Amino acid sequence: MFSPFSINFESPTQWHGDLPVTSRYTAGIALERFFIALRDEGKILGIRCSRCSKTYVPPTLFCPQCLTELQEFVDVGLHGEIYTYTISYRNLDGSLSNAPQVIAFIKIADGGIIHKIEGIPPHQVFIGMKVAAVLKPTAERSGSILDICAFKPFG
Amino acid sequence: MSLRKVAVVGAGMTHFVRRAKETPQELAFKAVRVALDSCELTLMDIDAVCLGTAPDSFDGIHMNGEYLSQAAGAFRKPYLRSYVGGGTGVFVPIQGWYHVASGLFDVVLVVAEEKMSSYYPHAQAAFLTIFDHTIERPLKPNLLWIFALEMNRYMTTYGLSKADIARVSVLHKRNAADHPCALLGDPNITVEDVLQSETLAWPVQRLDVSPVSDGAVALVLAAEHVARRITDKPVWIEGVGWCLDTAYWTNRDLAYPRYVEMAAKMAYEMAGIKEPRKEIHIAEPYDPFDYKALHHLEGLQLAERGKAIELYLNGDAERSGNLPICPSGGLLGVGNPIAAAGLMKVAELFWQLRGEAGKRQVPGNPKRGLAQAWGDLMQVGTVIILGR
Repeated sequence: MFSPFSINFESPTQWHGDLPVTSRYTAGIALERFFIALRDEGKILGIRCSRCSKTYVPPTLFCPQCLTELQEFVDVGLHGEIYTYTISYRNLDGSLSNAPQVIAFIKIADGGIIHKIEGIPPHQVFIGMKVAAVLKPTAERSGSILDICAFKPFG
Repeated sequence: MSLRKVAVVGAGMTHFVRRAKETPQELAFKAVRVALDSCELTLMDIDAVCLGTAPDSFDGIHMNGEYLSQAAGAFRKPYLRSYVGGGTGVFVPIQGWYHVASGLFDVVLVVAEEKMSSYYPHAQAAFLTIFDHTIERPLKPNLLWIFALEMNRYMTTYGLSKADIARVSVLHKRNAADHPCALLGDPNITVEDVLQSETLAWPVQRLDVSPVSDGAVALVLAAEHVARRITDKPVWIEGVGWCLDTAYWTNRDLAYPRYVEMAAKMAYEMAGIKEPRKEIHIAEPYDPFDYKALHHLEGLQLAERGKAIELYLNGDAERSGNLPICPSGGLLGVGNPIAAAGLMKVAELFWQLRGEAGKRQVPGNPKRGLAQAWGDLMQVGTVIILGR
């Protein structure tokens, strides 16, 4: 018969420790171009692999399918289509949020961006909806994904 | 058990640098691209991918192996990350070897990447939590303590001087001056420079230690029947071995790495090597610190206990010597992006045995080389033997 060790679970003495981690990240070769174009020109860039006939958004330095180095950046415009979405009712700490937030995967070319959907009641959002990026004013853009305030319904 | 012969047929690496602009994915991609081009293969020729990277905390990406997969060429392919801490760089080609030797795959990519500059303010803090949370962390330990305590025990046990041990750092950093990807090559460095560098945790001084670095390395492995179609200069994996000692370091002999000996013996037996000192022509022992190269050479049975320093004092360790050690420049000279640094040593053997090492070429057509790495909780030895 299987006979496990007994495990003592009665109020073990405990103390708290932490795992202190601070990281400094680089956007990298391809994403740096993406963020500079977003900040300075208000454009969303993709990158094209002519071999695989794919346009990746956001751009990557290489094609994941054929591992060719990519150089052909293309302006893919500010519009996309909701591929899927969720409506979030809770904050990160588990508390109830004051206003439900719509988070969507917005399909752009052969890739896409995960971002917020605003300017429409959550229950009116649907898969297939056409949306457009709303950018911060030029002077406030810093070269971050938050230079896009949100996507809103378009057309 | 019948195992297939496995060859290394291609290799590539990035520069090892202090702080790369590239993302970890971009580093891995660049190494893989060079490795594939070196043997004129495309991603379609690759059956599976083995990836090595050390703790996620360096790159600052949780599940770093999964993040790196597409850059390592694993798009819709069998893929697995292996991890034995600092020993990973030599373990990942062992993983690649058994993927092919087993008959499961014919051509496998082996990739190792590390971007240590992400960790802020210094990568050593990533190691804070490897110390026991109850009996050591209250002392606020520093990673260097481990090496300083071990180095002191090692040098005292065998009566070695700091000036002698510094010869290791000098040779490796001078060798690295001939490596096009090296971070800390210096053709003019002297023992005095090492002895006068800042003391970090006595007896460890600044130039006794390898630098924190960013970089990536990739190899292409192939089964015999494929390897002979790809290249007329296959370099065979003749033996592999690995072994872990106890998890807690006060239960261990710090002057002699028994676990490295056991890993080496496993590899020697597989390779049919009876007299390693005669049958190994190039050694790339793991050298994150200068004394570690000596420590490991002894564990590898390439020197008597306490006598590895003689290889450096009598010139045997030089490229033109009887047992060239770290002709690449090692971690002390080329740099130490953890997993990538170990795999760099295996790539060096590949280039040396093919006669493609350029200014670093060991003369006399070397036929067999050994690379070794070390790590986990200072308890793992990983060994690979390549030959032609």
